[in-house]
This record gives sequence, C-alpha cells and structure tokens, in this order.
Amino acid sequence: MNQDVLDLARLQFALTAGGHFLFVALTLGLATVVAVLQTRATFSREPLHARMVRFWGQLYVINYAVGIVTGLVMEFQFGMAWSGLTHEAGNILGASLAVETIVAFFVESTFLGLWIFGWNRLNRWAHLAAIWIVVLTAYVSAYWILVSNGFLNHPVGYASEGGELVLDDPVAVLTNPSALLAFGHVLAGALLTAGFFMAGVSAYHLFRRTPEWEFFGRSLRIGIFLSAPALMAAAVFGGLQFGTLTTFQPMKSAVFSGKAAEIARIQAEMTDRFGPGDYVPSEAWTRGGGLVMLISFALMMYLCFAGVILACFKKVVFRFRLWHLVLMAAVPLPYLAMIGGWVFREAGRQPWVVYGLLRTEDAVSDLSPGTMRLSLTVFTTVFALLALLNAWLLARHARRGPVESGLGHDERPDAAAGGEGGAPPADPADALPAPRY
Amino acid sequence: METLAIALLAFFTVGWFVLAGADIGTGMLALWLGRNDRERRLVLASFAPFFLGNEVWLVAAAGVLVGCFPALEGELLSGRLPVLVALLTGWILRDAGLWSRGRGPGSRWRAGCDAAVAGGSWIVALSWGWLLAAPLTGRPYAPATGPTAVLTALAVAALFAAHGLGFAALRLTGVPYERARRLVGRAGRPWQSFALTGVLLAALPLWAGSALPLAGRTASPATLGLLVPALLVVTPPLVAVQAWIWHAFRHRVTGPSYL
Repeated sequence: MNQDVLDLARLQFALTAGGHFLFVALTLGLATVVAVLQTRATFSREPLHARMVRFWGQLYVINYAVGIVTGLVMEFQFGMAWSGLTHEAGNILGASLAVETIVAFFVESTFLGLWIFGWNRLNRWAHLAAIWIVVLTAYVSAYWILVSNGFLNHPVGYASEGGELVLDDPVAVLTNPSALLAFGHVLAGALLTAGFFMAGVSAYHLFRRTPEWEFFGRSLRIGIFLSAPALMAAAVFGGLQFGTLTTFQPMKSAVFSGKAAEIARIQAEMTDRFGPGDYVPSEAWTRGGGLVMLISFALMMYLCFAGVILACFKKVVFRFRLWHLVLMAAVPLPYLAMIGGWVFREAGRQPWVVYGLLRTEDAVSDLSPGTMRLSLTVFTTVFALLALLNAWLLARHARRGPVESGLGHDERPDAAAGGEGGAPPADPADALPAPRY
Repeated sequence: METLAIALLAFFTVGWFVLAGADIGTGMLALWLGRNDRERRLVLASFAPFFLGNEVWLVAAAGVLVGCFPALEGELLSGRLPVLVALLTGWILRDAGLWSRGRGPGSRWRAGCDAAVAGGSWIVALSWGWLLAAPLTGRPYAPATGPTAVLTALAVAALFAAHGLGFAALRLTGVPYERARRLVGRAGRPWQSFALTGVLLAALPLWAGSALPLAGRTASPATLGLLVPALLVVTPPLVAVQAWIWHAFRHRVTGPSYL
C-alpha cells in the first residue's frame, strides 16, 4: 500500500461521491414535487398547473441530466480505485449495487426518457404513470445505495469464509438500521433541498416583480410548506441515527463530543480487539462536518418557522421583498447540511471502510501514484465543470421563468393545426429507384 | 447459477453494443451527416428518445459484473484504469453535450455542444477498441499497447461508425438521410447493413469475454442464489418496456426533439 495512492484515492472518492450526492439531493426531492404537480394538473386540467409541471420539470431534467453522468463515474469507481473492497466485501456490497443498477437505475432512465420525449405523444395518464415510476425507482435506487453504505457503516448479516465476507442473513442486510435510518434522513433532506430551491427561485421572480406573480406565489408557498415538515422529518431521522452511534460507532460520537477520556478508553479497547493502530478519526472533519450540519439546521429551522407563518398571508408572499432576499440566500443551506452530515458520517468512521472488518488502507487498489493522480485530475476537473454547467443552466432557466419552449414543448409540425393528422410520411427508402444489377 | 450469471453479463453487454452502438455511431458522424444547426438537431433527434435507455445497458452490465463477479471486477477495472478514465470522460462529454445543446444560448453554444457530442462519441468508441485490444494481446488485466492497440481501437471505432451510419439511414429524412444513404449504398434495403454491423458488434464482447476467466470467479453461492434469480425475473419486463419505446418512436424523424 502506498500512502500517496491512498490519499489520492480517498480524495477522489470524497470529491466525486460528494459532488454526486449534491446532484442527487435536488433530483430526488424535485422529482417528487414534479410528480405531485403533474398529478394535480392531470386531474384539474388547468393550464396554470400544467405550466408549473413544465417549468419545475425543466429544472429537474437539467439537474438530473448532469447528475446522471456523475453517477456513471461512481458506478465504476469501486472497481477502479477500491478493488480491495470488492475483493473482501464484494459478495454483499456488489449484490446491492447490482440490484440498484438493474432494478432501479435501468427502469428510472428508461421511463425518464419516455417522460421527456413522450410529452404530447403519450396518453396523459400513461405520461403521469411514467413520472411516478421515475420517482419510485429513484427512491428504490437511493435505498439500495444506502443498503451498501449501511453495510459499510454497520456490517450485519454476514459470515466470514476463508478471509472473505459472504452473505449469511439477507433480511438483516436489507433491514440494517444504519441503512433504513439513513434512507429516511436522506429522503427528508432531499425534499428539504427541493423545498428551499423552489422557494428561492420563486422569491427571485416575486422580488423582481415579474409578470408571473400568481405562478410564483403558489410555487413559493409549495416550497415553504414542503420544507417545514421535511426539516422535521430530517431532524427526527438524524436524531435516531445519532442515538444508534453509541452502540454502532462509539468512537465517532466520542470524537464529535470531544471527550478525551472517552476517546482514549475506546482507542485502548479497539487496540485490544484489532491489534495496534490509530482508531481515532480526523477530529477536524468529524466535528467540522457535524457542526456545519447542525448550524445549517438551526438556521433552516428559524427560516421554516417564520416562513410557515409568513406564507399564510397573501400580501406578504407577494410584497415582503426582504423575505424574498433571505429565501434566495437560503438556497445553499440544505446543500451545506447534506454535505456536512455526509462528511460526519463518512469521515467519522475512519480508519474503517467496512466498520470493524476492513481498513480503508487495505481496500485501495494496487495502482501507481501517477495513474491515481491522472484519474484524480481528470475526474475533479470534469466534476467541477459539470457543477458549473449545472449551476449556470439552472440559473439561466430559473431566471427565464415559464416560457413556451423547452421541456414539454409540442414539436410536432402539425400541432398548430390540431392533433396528429394523417399517416406518417412514407419511408424515403421506398422512393429510391430499384437496385440495378 | 454460474452459467446464468455469465449469460446475464453477456446479455447486457451485447445489448449495450448493439443498441448504444447505434447512437454512439450516429453521434460520431453527427457533424458530417448534419451540416447546419437544423440538420444536426435532426440527426440528434434520430436517437434522442433511445439514448438514455441505451446507455443504462452498460451500467447494468457493470452492475452484473460487480454483483456476480466482484473480485474479478476489481482486478479488471483497477488494472485498466487509464482506459476507463478515457471511456468515462468521453461518455460524460457526449452526454453533457447532448443534454445542454438545447438549453444554452446562441448558435455558437449549440455548435460547441455538437462538437462535444461527436468528440465524446469518438472517445467512447476508441476507448472500447483500446479496452477490447487487451484480450488480443493476451494480457486482459493491463491496458494494451503497441500497434495492436491502435489498430484494434481504429477498427472498433470504424465498426461503431458503420453501425451508426446504418441507424441514420433507417431513422433520418431529408438531406441528412440522403448523405447517409449515399454512403450505405443503394443496393438492398438500409436495414441490411444495420443488421450486419449489429451482428458484428454483438460478436465483439462475446469474443473478448471468452478470454476472461469468468467461470470460477463468481461471487459466493449464497449471493448468486439470490441475485441471479432476482435479476432474471426483472429483466424480461425491462426489455419489454424498452421494446415498447422503440415501437412507440419507430417512425423516421422529420422534426426536432427536446435535445
């Protein structure tokens, strides 16, 4: 094992997984909102409702498209940089990743393509079903990823056979509390991200007094009334997870609370169990991540509390410009909380990649530092560019407001004439002269 | 179980080569088939409804590889990291170009995105050639080097392009169609060349896979016993849905799409 390769591989994983996670946060939450909006529009047949689906759906698709390509790197990264992990724990980790790709991701992408390109072509109920399948498979996808991650944080349901972990109790793996609680927490966090995003974008239009005041007044209230319960749910699941730490990962909670005596005691205990080594994770990252999350949570709680009251008054929603500014500035808060919580979860369990079973340093691939440096440079550059592209495209389309183009625009040439008319054009291959021999 | 796991891996890999090979090949030729903004948008529309569903076949194949052959996956992927970095970069470039083309401002932006789609498609095709050259040189765990690597990469890329050309001749109309048809040739129906390149592309991964020690490197029986039946159950409906999408968008494209 080469120290440089280990550090570079960890940095690459942290940057790419962290980047991917932030895309997913908005995608998962906004997909839910779009599906609910579309359900309402399908039943009510009101043009305003349909326009809301198209506007928020456009922002969702932009974010999804950039997010999906970051996910591709994640898919291959385990094998590329962490072959020790697939070697030791592949029997459990690999299976949940495999189910995720085929049962969830495959279905999600297929139906998302159908939803985007089938607009104005599919029956409206089939079109509604498509977005709901996308949302549900996105949840399934998140669940399977967290089953993998839950196993890394709190391995259950395994047996050891010839130095390799094998699956012993699949039900225990699937109902791992470390996976289920994290799933609830991430889902609530995703809805919170979407709520703050909607409120912020709507506040921009209300602040600028664009003509779409009714559209964005309604959207702002949806954002606020979604954020408040999502924040509560995220806090409940977060609290439950924190409670499990004292038994699952006592070192993490000791480092977070900064109890030196407790840290020394657990260090001695682990040395007895696993042999000599440093079992204390980085204090800066563990405590820093946790604090960033808690501070953002506190700020969001004040904002949600005030927001729920303010959003009850129509005049305030349309005219209180200082509040609009605050809401715009608050869009990054859920992102900060998400990334802070994730750093706390992942940095705080070091030096383990599979807690108590496999050390991170033993999981890294046998690569040369040059290769790893190349890979890190390429992926970091690409991810930074993708994040910029996403932010720019989102800002551009959010600023433009609902317009008659883009997602859901009827591109059929005869759409103006009313409905699809006539048979599809004849195959041009028929018009060619018969082959001469 | 072991045989079924190998069959699943082969199925998803072959599926990717045949289906995604078509949109990657068309992407490679996008700048040649379409000479202006409108024509290029039409070329992209020819595969727009399919490419998202196509590319997940490779993700699924990678999933089967890591799920059913975890240790082998680690060795294969870490051994050929530089090739995979190139492959993924090309893939990302291509997708970013496709998705952003219609969302940015102005004709320069769109021309840039078209170049990204074409360039990314070439990188993906060449990387696959480079990846497949390794079994040829007899060292499947390291990136291939030397003239074999270069020649295989070029040959595989040419095959992808030919497949894309056949797809374009089947899907397009107007001037871009005429260009594709001229190159495909007028003898016979256009689907014949597409079927031929499809068979060749399907044979490629099978031939390369036969050089891998797949049997004997599977996951433990407990994992396979659950995973393989689960995947076998969900695969037919997935294929049926994709087939239905191909059927729904079967007509030649005459106008632009969302991209």
